[in-house]
Amino acid sequence: MERITIDPITRLEGHGKIEIFLNEEGNVKNAYLQIPELRGFEQFSIGRPAEEMPRITNRICGVCPEAHHMAATKALDALFGVEPSSAVKKLRELFYSSFYVTDHTVHFYALGGPDFVLGPDSDPAERNILGVIRKVGVDIGIQVIECRKRNHEVIKMLGGRGVHPVAGLPGGWSKSMTKEEHELILEYAKQNIDFALFSLKIFDDIVLANQAYVDLIVSDAFTHQTYYMGTVDEKNQINFYDGLIRVVGPDGAELVKYPAKDYAKHIAERVEPWSYLKFPYLKAVGWKGFVDGADSGVYCATPLSRLNAADGMATPKAQEHYERFYETLGSKKTNGRYAPVHHRLATHWARLIELLYAAERMQELAQDPEITDPDVRPVITSIPTEGIGSVEAPRGTLTHHYKTDENGILTDVNLIVGTTNNNAPIAMSIKKAAEGLIKNGEVSEGLLNQVEMAFRNYDPCMSCATHSLPGQMPLEIQIRDKDGKLVNRLSQYVDQP
Amino acid sequence: MNKTLIIGLGNPILTDDGVGVKVAREIEKLVNLEVHPDLTVTEASAGGLRLMEAVLDYQRVVLIDAYYLNPESTIPGKIHRLELEDLRSVSPTQHSTSAHDTSLVTALDAAQIMGFQIPEEYIIYAVEVENILEFSETPTPAVAAAIPQVADLIIKELSLSLR
Repeated sequence: MERITIDPITRLEGHGKIEIFLNEEGNVKNAYLQIPELRGFEQFSIGRPAEEMPRITNRICGVCPEAHHMAATKALDALFGVEPSSAVKKLRELFYSSFYVTDHTVHFYALGGPDFVLGPDSDPAERNILGVIRKVGVDIGIQVIECRKRNHEVIKMLGGRGVHPVAGLPGGWSKSMTKEEHELILEYAKQNIDFALFSLKIFDDIVLANQAYVDLIVSDAFTHQTYYMGTVDEKNQINFYDGLIRVVGPDGAELVKYPAKDYAKHIAERVEPWSYLKFPYLKAVGWKGFVDGADSGVYCATPLSRLNAADGMATPKAQEHYERFYETLGSKKTNGRYAPVHHRLATHWARLIELLYAAERMQELAQDPEITDPDVRPVITSIPTEGIGSVEAPRGTLTHHYKTDENGILTDVNLIVGTTNNNAPIAMSIKKAAEGLIKNGEVSEGLLNQVEMAFRNYDPCMSCATHSLPGQMPLEIQIRDKDGKLVNRLSQYVDQP
Repeated sequence: MNKTLIIGLGNPILTDDGVGVKVAREIEKLVNLEVHPDLTVTEASAGGLRLMEAVLDYQRVVLIDAYYLNPESTIPGKIHRLELEDLRSVSPTQHSTSAHDTSLVTALDAAQIMGFQIPEEYIIYAVEVENILEFSETPTPAVAAAIPQVADLIIKELSLSLR
C-alpha cells in the first residue's frame, strides 16, 4: 500500500502528522491524523491520592488544563459521593465559561479564522494571526489580546493559579469570590458579550458576505452526515459544565440521552490495523466503517455537534444567532427543532455562537445572588470507591473515570479526551479532502491547504503540553510506494537545521 | 530599572519536557532574590500568545526550554545558548508550534504590530532532550545532570547573588 505523509501539521502541535494511504491504483484508501501518544499516564497516577487528580490532569494538556481540571473535580464529586451545592456548581460554571471565552477566541482568530479571513488559497506563511491583524486591523488584534487578558485574570482569581488551576475539591471549590472580584467579573462578562457579538459581526462581514466562502462551507467536500454528541440541560439546551449527554442521528432524532457515568454502555472503541488510534463509535448503531449515514456508528463531538444535539441555546442572544445559523444554512424545523447542519466548516461559525453563549452565561451566573456564597468547602465523610466525571471540553466531551481503594488511593484511571471522540470523523474529513486532490497517485496543488482546513475545524488537540524547541518542522508530504520506499517528497517550508 | 524575567518552560510531569521548569526552580532555590528586586523567576507550561503575554512587562527575558531534535542526532543534556533570531530561523514560517496557539516569535511580532512594548533582550537556554512522550517526574540522567549546569550558566551570565 502506498502511503503519503504530511508531517507535521502547521498551526497544530508540532509533532502531529497526517498519514494518507493509497490503494493499488494510487487513489486514497484510508487517512488519519496521527497524534503522538503520551505514554504511562495510568501508571503515573496509580498509587497517588485521588484528590491530586485535578492538579495532575491539568498538566496533561497545555491547551485545555481548565477542562481537565473540571472533569477531574467532577469525577471526585462522584468518587467521594458528595453532591456540590448549587453555589459551588455556579462558581465552577462561571470559571469554566470564562475559560471557554479565551479558548474559542484563540481558535477563531489564530487558528481557524485565518483560512477565511485571508482565504483558503492564501500563502500559508500569511495564514496566521499576523495575517489576520494585517487584514482586519490592529484594533481587532488588541481586542483579542484584551479579551484573553481579562479572562485569564478571571481564571486566576477563581482557579487559584494562572495557567493550571488548583481550586477544584471533591464536592467543592477551594475559594469563594470577594466583592472586588465579583464587581470585576460582572464588568468583564459584559465586555465578553460585546466581544462575542463583534466577532460574529466579523464572521458576517468577511465570511457570510462572500458567496465563494459560503459555497465552500456548504460544498460536498466538507460535508458528512453523522451522529452528533453534546451535553444538554433539562430543556435540551447546550451546557458546557453539566447535564446529560445526548446523541442525535443525522436526521436530528434523539438516539440516546444518558448520564456521563453510563458512557461505557453507549460508546465502544474500534481498532484498525493501519492506525494506532482508537476510533470510538456508538454501540447501539454499531461499527460499519468510516462511512456516513444513520447505519454508521460514527459520531462527532464538536461545537457544531453540540448545536446539532441540542434544541437551542440557554441564553437569548446566542439563541438568536443559533436560529440564524440554521435558517441561513437551509435547515428545516421538524418537531420543534432544526435538522442538523452537516457542513463541517460551519463548525467555525458554531464556535462563535458558543463564544457568545459562554459570555452570556458568565454574566447570568455573575448576576446570581448565590455566586458570592462563602460556603463552598464541604466536609467529606464517605469512603471513596469509583467516580466518573464529564464536561464539554471545547473540542469534545471529556470524561474522567477513577477507581480507588478505601483510602482514596488510585487503582485505575481512564480518560476519554475530547479529540478522541472525533478520530473517525477527522479521518473521514481528511480522506474526503484528499480524494478530490489525489488521483491515480498524482497529487494536485492545494492538497496541504485543503487537508488542513478539513481537520482544523475540529480543533484537534495534540494531547499534551510539550512545548519543546524547535516545536516545529516543515510541513511535508511523503509519497511512498507500496514497499514503503520514498518516491516523492514535497515540502512547503524550509527544513529545520 | 531593568526588569528581568526568568521563565522555565515545559511540562514537569513529562520526563525531559520539564527541564526548563526544573532549571527555574533550581535558580529560585539558589539565588538571593531579596537583593534582586528587579528579577522574577517563574515557570509556564505555555507557548505562543500566553508566553508573549507573560513577558510583556519585562525588558529582559531568559527562557529555558527543552530542545527536541532528530532522535538519531541528538545528544541528550547538550546545552545551547540561543538568541531570539535563532528561534526565528528554527521557525521560519511564523506558524504555530502548538495545537492552540502561535509561535512565540509570531506572537511577539503581533504584539509589536499592535503597539505593545515587548522585551528588548532575550536570552534562551535550550537543553537537548531524549524523552518527552512518557509521564514521569524524573528526567533522564543526562538531562538531569544538565539542570544545575544551566542554572549555573544563567546565574553567572546575569551576575546573580547567591543565598
